[in-house]
Amino acid sequence: MTGRIFSIEEFATFDGPGIRMTVFLKGCPLRCSWCHNPESQRAEVEYVRSPNGCLSCGACLRAGERDARGALHLTAASVEACPRRLVRRCGEDLTVEALCARIRANGRILQSTGGGVTFSGGEPFAQFEFLRACLSALKGEVHTAIQTCGYTAPERFAEALTLCDYVLYDLKLMDPALHRRYCGTDNGRILENYRALAASGKEFVTRIPLIPGVTDTTENLSAIAAFVKEQGVDRVELLPYNRMAGSKYAGLLRPFEPGFDEDRVVELHLEIFEKHGIRAKKM
Amino acid sequence: MTELVKRQLKLLNDRTYRARRVSPPMDPELAEQQWDRYTEAGDAARFAYACACEKEPVFHGEDIFGFNRYCTGALCKGRFGNVVIDYETVLSKGLCGILADADARRATADAEAISYYDGIRTCYEAAFGLVDMYEKAACEAGNLRLADALLQVPRHGARSYYEALITLRFLSYILRLNRCVHLPLGRFDCYMKPYYEMSLAAGVTEAEILEQTELFFIAMNFDSDLYIGIQKGDNGQSLVLGGCDRAGNEVFGALSEICLQASEELALIDPKINLRVNKGTPLSLYERGTRLTKQGLGFPQYSNDDIAIPFLTSLGYDPEDARDYAMAACWEFIVSGNGADIPNRNSFDYPKVIERATKSHLLTSDSFETFLEAVGREMDRECDRMIDHCNENRPYSPEILLSSFLQPTIERGRTLQRGGAKYNNYGFHGSGMSTAADALAAIRACIYEQQYCTKEELLAALEADFVGYEDLHRWLLDCPKMGNNDDRADMLGCWLMERFSSYLNGKPNDRGGIYRAGTGSAMTYITHAAKVGATADGRRAGTPFASSYSPSPDARLQGPLSNILSFTKFDLRKICNGGPFTIEIHDTVFRNDEGEKKVAQLIKSYIDLGGHQIQINAINRDRLLDAQAHPENYPNLIVRVWGWSGYFTELDTVYQNHVIRRMEFTV
Repeated sequence: MTGRIFSIEEFATFDGPGIRMTVFLKGCPLRCSWCHNPESQRAEVEYVRSPNGCLSCGACLRAGERDARGALHLTAASVEACPRRLVRRCGEDLTVEALCARIRANGRILQSTGGGVTFSGGEPFAQFEFLRACLSALKGEVHTAIQTCGYTAPERFAEALTLCDYVLYDLKLMDPALHRRYCGTDNGRILENYRALAASGKEFVTRIPLIPGVTDTTENLSAIAAFVKEQGVDRVELLPYNRMAGSKYAGLLRPFEPGFDEDRVVELHLEIFEKHGIRAKKM
Repeated sequence: MTELVKRQLKLLNDRTYRARRVSPPMDPELAEQQWDRYTEAGDAARFAYACACEKEPVFHGEDIFGFNRYCTGALCKGRFGNVVIDYETVLSKGLCGILADADARRATADAEAISYYDGIRTCYEAAFGLVDMYEKAACEAGNLRLADALLQVPRHGARSYYEALITLRFLSYILRLNRCVHLPLGRFDCYMKPYYEMSLAAGVTEAEILEQTELFFIAMNFDSDLYIGIQKGDNGQSLVLGGCDRAGNEVFGALSEICLQASEELALIDPKINLRVNKGTPLSLYERGTRLTKQGLGFPQYSNDDIAIPFLTSLGYDPEDARDYAMAACWEFIVSGNGADIPNRNSFDYPKVIERATKSHLLTSDSFETFLEAVGREMDRECDRMIDHCNENRPYSPEILLSSFLQPTIERGRTLQRGGAKYNNYGFHGSGMSTAADALAAIRACIYEQQYCTKEELLAALEADFVGYEDLHRWLLDCPKMGNNDDRADMLGCWLMERFSSYLNGKPNDRGGIYRAGTGSAMTYITHAAKVGATADGRRAGTPFASSYSPSPDARLQGPLSNILSFTKFDLRKICNGGPFTIEIHDTVFRNDEGEKKVAQLIKSYIDLGGHQIQINAINRDRLLDAQAHPENYPNLIVRVWGWSGYFTELDTVYQNHVIRRMEFTV
């Protein structure tokens, strides 16, 4: 069995305890308008261009292709065409064994620092079979974490909880209509899985992306605070929107249309969490 | 930071004080003399002349030390340097104590010793003239504290932390006047501890000690543009903290903390802080160090006692001396107070040797093993050639002033250059090791394993710098590269280091010492690389190698963990002349305490796995590019270059570009 991976980061500093490798699985059911990893969204292999050192010579574009809708994409030929090797294939198919071997190779450093591996995405549950196989293979050997938006079938979520050691769980918008508008899906199962997570006794952290004018409103943050408190949670992490978020879209030749004012200053609203007796840490 | 420190820091960072510079005419008679032909008497006379040129005492702002330059003339590339002087003796006995010692030995001394001792007297008397000039000026300016201290130091032993700092400023001043450019400060927290304690006992507060330390660090940065090694900033003012003392006890303590705090608050390029660590060093010290790294200073650099000390003892250093190691200007491991090692005597150019071996032996080698053996023989020959060259070299001319600050030279009646030191070893750096390992890995894959092309085609492609061989070039770039925890490249790196170090280590030199092998590159990662043609790893002709002990800048890397594992496979106790593993970390990692802690864990991992030395650059590539375009906006942007930190905008473009290039595959 293989999984499709768009990146493996060896020194992920914000994805769980200790020094961690983070495996980014390609494909996501959500389409958050602020997504800073656009290459993570589609399950298909894509080609991306790094802007660092780009000569703007156009060689990669000449080797590109137009899809049915007329949008230009970089191709495998673009990789060959770039004189500075700045175009790379995004989406590598690895077997469970190959991926676990790469993780184990760094095992000494991961273990000695209380770290491990984090499966992120995209959405790791979008490749559930592969995720399950990796977690099973590493169980008891390497500390494993899942970073998820929670959008998956409850029985799958429950099974993964029995296999992993730690969860990083995103909560974005409490209002279902707004969730559909900004993230592309309903949030019912996200909230359901969150309740299950809180009840499971598994170690986890709740993360709230603060998107100006979208998630950082008083209404939304109050609703989130009330909801997590109801589940007995007293600690959340706030991830303020980073203006760099849109920088990768150009590498995919895609426009970045966040649908909100990027320049607006993010509201932390720490007082809302304080009122609910929740410790909120800005990341 | 006190108001006084803030004012001095502002004065320094504004650089307005630099307007005050004069260039006195050179003494024509002395100018004509060859530097390396001086006799003892000639050397002393020349120093006395340099002292006489310093006609005016210079105080920068509310400077509490004095001893600043304003003469831009009479400066040239350094002579003998990279020696850690015997600060302990100079601070405790003062210059008069050293003179008295020399006088006592004069009666039974031979002619060479007498001319050395007489030279010391000439030098010191000239230097005392400068002390008196500053004492008078301090008195007139109402700075009675300094005036009072100058009646005691540097003639006599220091009685307080402040007086000891004045002696250090004075030493730096007169040695630089004597063209000693690279003057490391050695184990500051070790030799300053008694004076720190004396001051505390006399009622000086910790806050005052911190203020004095900060003013001292600021003073070290004045006029740094006058003392350039290869580039501005390469001025050798390294300072070592922590590690074990001569008896094996841990040194790191309250004074070490004060130094780290001072360095963090000031964010200046000098002194360049080195932390000595070992397997038992707690994570908290690495976290403390990481707060400096976060400032973007490019230091502390960490050195591993568990690797460096066994290396030194294996080469014949006494255990107490090995434990007392410090850093030369950059990262060379040298002993304190009694050695005249020249750890940067030359640099072994691995890719050049591979290039030569490829041209001469690839066609006739039927197997990779045969080819590798031919490479090995070329390496041995190259070492022999370098050794012959060093041993044939003209002897260094005697340097009285510097020598007099190392106790064994007084006992022996000989300058450092004439056998006065206990250790007289030479070190060879090794540049481009990772490029060489990658080239070998590519040759093995391309020619001997997968027969992607013929030997003739590969040679032709290298000759053509890959022009017209684009497919082959791409294929070579995708071959295994050192730094990805891939044995196919890493073990070749180990093989190269084993061959180089086992051949070189212990070979006798022309000064009664031996040779030591290292992993550093100094500037040769640029200068050597410029003369090496295309290499089989896909590197184009003239492209720089990695700085010191790091993956090739052309290698696409999986990440820092694989990188660390690759570079700890070799037993570094065999190749510890100096030369750090260097990693660049994007500055956003440091944005909160969690990121800081993980960087500290990463550094500790490298050390615990047997790494010898590590330096970390916290960099933002976009900022560097912007600084290239608008240098006026970044007068104080600091980067680590090869073994020292400098102001980015003062570097030559080739060094700027190398730092930027190192960041290209990250993000």
